[in-house]
Amino acid sequence: MKKTLSVLLSLALVVTMAAGCSGGTTTSSEDSDVIKIGVFQPLTGANAAGGELEVEGVELANQLRPEVLGKKVELVIADNKSDKAEATTAAARLIEKDKVVAILGSWGSSLSIAAGDVVKTNQIPAVALSATNPQVTAGNDYYFRVCFLDPFQGTVMANYASKKLNAKKVAIIQEVSNDYSVGLAKFFTDSFVKLTGDPNAIVATGNYNTGDQDFNGILTNIKAANPDVIFAPGNFTESALIIKQARALGITAPFIGGDTWETNEFITVGGADVEGAVMSTFFDDTNPLTEAGKTFVAEYKKAYPDRANIAAVTALGYDGYMMTLDAIERAGSADPVAIRDALAETKDFEGATGMITIDANGDATKNEAIIKTVKDGKFTYLDSVTVD
Amino acid sequence: MKETQNSIGAYLKAHWKTVLFLVVLLIGIGLADNFVDSYLRRLLNLCAIYVIVSLSMNLVNGFTGQFSLGQAGFMAIGAYTVAVFTVPIESRAAIFYLEPMAPFLANIQLPFIVALILGGLAAVVVAFFIGSPCLRLRGDYLAIATLGFSEIIRIVFTNTQSITNGALGIKSIPTISSLWWTYGTALLIIIATVLLINSTYGRAFKAIREDEIAAEAMGVGLFKTKMTSFLIGAFFAGIGGGLFAALLGTVDPKQFYFTLTYNFLLIIVLGGMGSISGTVIASFVVTLGQEALRFLDEPMAFGLDLPIFRPGLRMVVFSFLLMVIVLFYRKGLMGTNELTWDFIAQKYHAIKQKLSRKKASTEGGGQQ
Repeated sequence: MKKTLSVLLSLALVVTMAAGCSGGTTTSSEDSDVIKIGVFQPLTGANAAGGELEVEGVELANQLRPEVLGKKVELVIADNKSDKAEATTAAARLIEKDKVVAILGSWGSSLSIAAGDVVKTNQIPAVALSATNPQVTAGNDYYFRVCFLDPFQGTVMANYASKKLNAKKVAIIQEVSNDYSVGLAKFFTDSFVKLTGDPNAIVATGNYNTGDQDFNGILTNIKAANPDVIFAPGNFTESALIIKQARALGITAPFIGGDTWETNEFITVGGADVEGAVMSTFFDDTNPLTEAGKTFVAEYKKAYPDRANIAAVTALGYDGYMMTLDAIERAGSADPVAIRDALAETKDFEGATGMITIDANGDATKNEAIIKTVKDGKFTYLDSVTVD
Repeated sequence: MKETQNSIGAYLKAHWKTVLFLVVLLIGIGLADNFVDSYLRRLLNLCAIYVIVSLSMNLVNGFTGQFSLGQAGFMAIGAYTVAVFTVPIESRAAIFYLEPMAPFLANIQLPFIVALILGGLAAVVVAFFIGSPCLRLRGDYLAIATLGFSEIIRIVFTNTQSITNGALGIKSIPTISSLWWTYGTALLIIIATVLLINSTYGRAFKAIREDEIAAEAMGVGLFKTKMTSFLIGAFFAGIGGGLFAALLGTVDPKQFYFTLTYNFLLIIVLGGMGSISGTVIASFVVTLGQEALRFLDEPMAFGLDLPIFRPGLRMVVFSFLLMVIVLFYRKGLMGTNELTWDFIAQKYHAIKQKLSRKKASTEGGGQQ
């Protein structure tokens, strides 16, 4: 009993001490010469890696531009645990407890969709950084985004397959449990059928689930259909395994995919077999599209000298912050509704990932995507594709 | 006992504390509903939903002694029923943009309460088909089968694109923000569970938990009784899932991974397997505790920047606290006890006695 008591007491002590300290910070920052911007991201759980990269971009931007309207900008970072229920409480907390005027995030469309209702009813503008699902902004006046959408990326790859690779027949392998992959596959199909004029241009479709290891069943069907190109958007580990197993089966058709492939794990898992795999992405650090992009790359290299390459989502985090600050400046006040109106009017904003104009849905209209390929075990710039 | 229940007046006299407590509770919910900000409201709603689902799990695991791990699956059924039937018809085309909604469903829209009950009933039907083979067996088979089932449900929902919108999920579900929906349902379910546990069925549940062979020898129909408990549990979990969908306003299959079930397993183990009040307490402790520890994720203003205060620390501390509780309260916070007035009085006297004894012994020590 004594032992229990002592353990519990010491715990209580630690907790109250810590609570006291944190209480001190919140009261000191509640004065009016600080503008608070919430960042809600998965920093623990399945999507932690993605969230971390976006926060890096936001923090870098904050260091470069720490003030707007003569007031200091304070970032409030909230973890949503890669969990939907947690995402809604984290967003509500940022709004009610921390009184943020705008929210950036989150990595993962479903987490952003879950928070959508909260930002809408509380009238706080939110900017999604890399959430590509059209439903994030659809029917929600308070959600914006700086990245391009699934439809655009699907169209880009269809154009690439049809015009650059001269493909006539394509096979699709999609990760059915992943909204991103299903969306990309659908828009690729629509666009590719239109480009070739052949309703049977998609010769085979294979479905798999996140975490699957063996794809020989799907690949045997695809081999029989003999496609010119295989489009396989999806998670990097599974995609790398698919390519490996396809090569082992003797399939020689080139593989193309989306931006999720651009991780080091893709190359470590796939090894020599993923050489020549082609993907579309938002950003290329060796070839920035804009002046802002060059500044961003230089500053990032200064801040993180030991990183080999810059993730596209980091650049998007940077853009999201800069665009929000630009909107606050144009609004001339830190009133959330005024910021929302200013965000909606964003036109030709020069971001690190390209020129951003917000359309009626709240989406960034971008017409240029980067095409990268794996060469000598590295992601290398291949081409950029413009779609009208 | 029988005489006192004959008239309402006498009943009130005998249970005035409970009645008073209920009245205070209802007034409290009413006040909270009007004055609490949306953040706390969301948390309180989540607490109530966790109470519902944990109770449903405790009914099967704690009271009947059948190890079932299918709660995430039953919740998914309830949640998707509410989602599919309450999404406004005009926004369906925008949500089902990959593949249009199946024509037999596309024009059906039901009131929330109807969809909620339908979700519970759908969970019951599914539970019947899993229960029929598995509950005839003894041992761990039910755990394995229900765990498998909840994964199957998730994968089915991922692949039925025209009904559930697959991996894209459904959004724009009309949301509930009033506390009355969740707390009203939770109260009804708590009362129903208390009545059930104290009825003949409840005694049969406990008999099976203690010893199946002895229970059978006493004339308890094993299969039928287990099935009753399992189906009622599934119904409650389905209702909880439906409320969950309406609270978040969106559902997708990834929400219902089997890891969701472990949240509720944690709650019932923490509260005490076989204690209704323990489950209620633990639901609040776990849900509010995780939020209360959120300050640990933020960098601290200690003057010096300690690197351990980074996202994820609260989970570490939370797990540590859980370990402490499990180490010192092996049967959970409440064991199989209920938080009744007698229990409180008993504890109060025990503590009082202990203190006075301690006082006496220290005084005695002083004299020597």
